[in-house]
Amino acid sequence: MRKTYRYKNLVFPVSDDTEVIFEVEFISDGNSGQSVINVPGPNDKEISNSGSESIGKGKDLRGDSTICFSDIDNAIPEEDEIKINYKINDELIVEHSNLKSEEERPIIVLSIKFPVS
Amino acid sequence: MKYTLMLILLVFCSISNAQEKLNKLQAPTSPAASILGMQPSAVLSPKSYQALETALYSSFVGENGTAVIPNDFALEFTPYWTKNHSLSLDEYLYPKRLTDQFIRNSSLSIASTQNFQLGDSTATNGLGFGYRTTFYFGNKKDREKIEKYISDLKSNKTITALIGSEAQSLLENKKVSTKGEFIEKIKITILEAINKNMSRLNNIQKNKLIEEILLEISTLSLDLNNFDSFLNDFNNVIDSKLKSEILFNEFKTYITDRQGWSIDIAYANLLNFPTNNFEFSYLPRQSFWVTPTYNFKDNLSFLKIMGVVRYEWYNVDYFKKYFANSKVYENNFDYGLAISTQFEKVSFKLELVGRNSETEIPAGTDSEGNELFRRDKTSDLQYLGSFNYNLSDQIILSYSLGKSFEPMLNTDNTLISLISLNFGFGTPSEKTLDLNK
Repeated sequence: MRKTYRYKNLVFPVSDDTEVIFEVEFISDGNSGQSVINVPGPNDKEISNSGSESIGKGKDLRGDSTICFSDIDNAIPEEDEIKINYKINDELIVEHSNLKSEEERPIIVLSIKFPVS
Repeated sequence: MKYTLMLILLVFCSISNAQEKLNKLQAPTSPAASILGMQPSAVLSPKSYQALETALYSSFVGENGTAVIPNDFALEFTPYWTKNHSLSLDEYLYPKRLTDQFIRNSSLSIASTQNFQLGDSTATNGLGFGYRTTFYFGNKKDREKIEKYISDLKSNKTITALIGSEAQSLLENKKVSTKGEFIEKIKITILEAINKNMSRLNNIQKNKLIEEILLEISTLSLDLNNFDSFLNDFNNVIDSKLKSEILFNEFKTYITDRQGWSIDIAYANLLNFPTNNFEFSYLPRQSFWVTPTYNFKDNLSFLKIMGVVRYEWYNVDYFKKYFANSKVYENNFDYGLAISTQFEKVSFKLELVGRNSETEIPAGTDSEGNELFRRDKTSDLQYLGSFNYNLSDQIILSYSLGKSFEPMLNTDNTLISLISLNFGFGTPSEKTLDLNK
């Protein structure tokens, strides 16, 4: 059974016209992963490994929670930890870390609300 | 009968330990332990400087704070991997420069024993220091295999993330009010994600996969007010049907034993304290190994070819003084070849190693009083066949038969006939060390 790490009730206040850039940053060595950012509406985005994507303006992200779902693995024997930073507009919102002895293929789920700043 | 067999094996094991250690054709896992001639029951491999300090402190500092040389201790440390470099999987698998491989694979080892026996069987303290690194030279087939694994794993991860994010969103944002409604909505995402991303399956296989997923998720129970455990099970159904874990484990195994050439380079030296006085020591022996290996794959994946070039330097004065009846040459150059095969639980290995040795012996003085030397040379051959049987994941039964190089002591004793049981226990990790000590 794979372990899922959930980070709930995250809040990132943003004004209507501010563009929101979502970033996945691999910190530990040899990580590999696919992240899908499921936003309110049809403009879901995918990030392969480390990278960033614009997920829309503040006004597009109101109401429902935005879900970031990452399917990660780390196959290299020299690394014993999986460490990933999630950022919005360069601001760190989640610093995920787990030992590979606990789970070497973690699923990481972030639920984020974007209220008016 | 079972106990009789165990007793026989244990007797043979003790006989094999009483003999001189075999100088096998391979780069040692821990060069420092190898040069001491010891086979440590565990090699500490600390992954951080903190764990390294703890391992050294707890092993080399006695109860009253004085320095001690621990018995049968071995430690191997790879400095590069003590901190994060945000190294991508691609950069890890295909280093751009040889220096990258050199730095990443460099490891330092240290080993110690209180039972390094001199020629008169006096037990003395011995320390071994070693270094090793590995260079890997991939080929086209290796790259194709890696690309296929990465591509298949990426497809699976994309499908899992597309379906998983939608499932989480449906339940968290209360877009469905029954399990039936959830399945109807998620079915659309499952169809789209698999049809778009699972290019390695044909349409019939895709439809079968979709049917199997829908059937299995219909058996899960959903509590709309507490859906985390349902989503965990749901994600695991997708993962299991895509066979992601199997694929990942195959990939993980492959990258530790890749097809193509690799070259191990290792160096070690031995420091002996013949009077057990810390201020009086000798450097009796140094070794340098270069070991190229070729790993075959596909139909020949059971086969591995290995070569060795090994230079060993002995301090002749030391051996004359502390191993009075030994025959030692100062410079020893070994070269050899080995072929090994692996069939599930059984493996065979054949090796042939030649040795050229020489030393300079004082031969008086000339008419002007200058010292003269003569060169004493010899050559020798070692051949060995080994059979290993994996009794379980942790226990290997080995038998070796052949002829060894002439030992330093008892030079006629060259027959090798060793049976041994090797027990594999997990090495201590950072977690098992007391970091607060």
